[in-house]
Amino acid sequence: MTCAERIGELVECARGRGSLGRELSAHLPGCAACAERFQAERELSQQLRTIQARGVALMAEDTRREVLMRDFADLHRRRPARPWVFAFGGATALFAAILVGNVAGRHAARHAPVPALRVKAPRTTQVVTYEASTDASELSSDDFTAVPYTPPLAPGELVRVVHADLYPEALASMGIDINPAWGDEIPTEVVVGEDGIPRAVRIIGPQGGTQSDDF
Amino acid sequence: MSALIPRSDEELYRLMKKGNQDAFAQLYARRVPALRRYALHTSGSPAIAEEVAHEVFLQLMSPNSRYDEAKGSLESFLYGIARNLVRVVRRQGPVEEAVDRAFEHDILGELISNEATAALHQTLRELPERYRDVVVLCDLEERSYEDVARLIGRPVGTVRSRLHRARALLSAKLKRLNAPVEVYSR
Repeated sequence: MTCAERIGELVECARGRGSLGRELSAHLPGCAACAERFQAERELSQQLRTIQARGVALMAEDTRREVLMRDFADLHRRRPARPWVFAFGGATALFAAILVGNVAGRHAARHAPVPALRVKAPRTTQVVTYEASTDASELSSDDFTAVPYTPPLAPGELVRVVHADLYPEALASMGIDINPAWGDEIPTEVVVGEDGIPRAVRIIGPQGGTQSDDF
Repeated sequence: MSALIPRSDEELYRLMKKGNQDAFAQLYARRVPALRRYALHTSGSPAIAEEVAHEVFLQLMSPNSRYDEAKGSLESFLYGIARNLVRVVRRQGPVEEAVDRAFEHDILGELISNEATAALHQTLRELPERYRDVVVLCDLEERSYEDVARLIGRPVGTVRSRLHRARALLSAKLKRLNAPVEVYSR
C-alpha cells in the first residue's frame, strides 16, 4: 500500500470514524509525510469540533418559531374548504369554452377562404354589383358555371362580379374543365357573395368561348 | 399507539398541507435546527441563518410549494432551498455580521474563540460550495456519507472524495496560519 492510498484511512481516523489499523500504526513512525498529514487532520478535526460547538450554542434559541406557527394558522384559517368554488369554476370554464368555440366557428365560416381560389392578381379594380334574385345553383348559365358546395345566397343578397386571373387548379376545384393549353393564368369573372365566397365563375377571353369545343 | 410511531417527513408534509399544525410543528422541530446551523456555517451570519431557515419553512407551507415526493426526500428539498437562499445572500455581497463578531458578546464565544478557529471558519466560508457543503454536513453536522449523498444528490464516493479534498485545503490553510513569521535581519 502506498502513502497516497493510506491518506483516506488517515483522514477517517482523524475524523474519529475509525482507529488506526496495525499496518498504519506501524507505518506512521517511519513516514514523516503521513505522520504530518495525520497530525494536521487531527488538528483540523479539533478546530471543526470547536466551530461545531459554537454553532450549536449560537443557534440554540429559536426566536422565529412562534411567528411561523402563527403564520401557518393564519394561512389555513383564510383558506376554508370551498368545493362549490371549484364546481362553479369548472362550469364557468366549460361555458366559456363553448362560447368561444361557437364565436370562433362563425367567424371562421364568415371569413372562410374561397375554396382553392388562388388569385394571381386582380386584373381590374372594376367591381360590378348585382342583386341576387335566385339561388347560387341557378346562377349557371351559358357563360357562368355555379361553384359546387357553396352556401345558398340569401334573398336580396348583393353579389359582385370580380375580374381576376386564376390558376387552372383553382378553376378545376370549382368544377371547371381545364384545357392544359390555356397556360398558367386564366382570365375569369367570379360572382362573389357578400360573405366573400365565390358562387359562380366564367372564363373570359379566347379560351372561354372554346371551352366546350376543346373537350 | 399510532401517535408513538414517528412519521416520516413526507407523511408530515402531506398532513401539513391539509392544515395539520401539529404535523407542521413536528416537521419544524425535526428539521429546523440543522438547517439553521447549515445556513450559519455557510453564510457566516446568525441573523441570515435565522432568516434562511424561516424562509425555507415559509416556502414549504406556501400553497405554491413545489415539493414532489417522486423527485426526492423532503429533507433534500429543504436543504436545496436553504442552499439557494444562502447562495443569493452571498451573491449580494459580504455578510456584515459574521459568526465570530457575534460571539464577541458571548461568554462561550470569548472562552473558546481564538484566531485559528476564526480563520478556519473564514476559510470554510471561502471554500467552493461543493467542498463547503460536505464539510458542513459531514464534519459539523456529523451526517454519514450516505445521508449527505442523498441530500446533495451525488454518489457516496464523490462525497467522500470532496470531503477529503476540502479537508486538505483547510489543513493547508491552518498550516499557513500556524507557520512562524519569518523575520529578516540585516
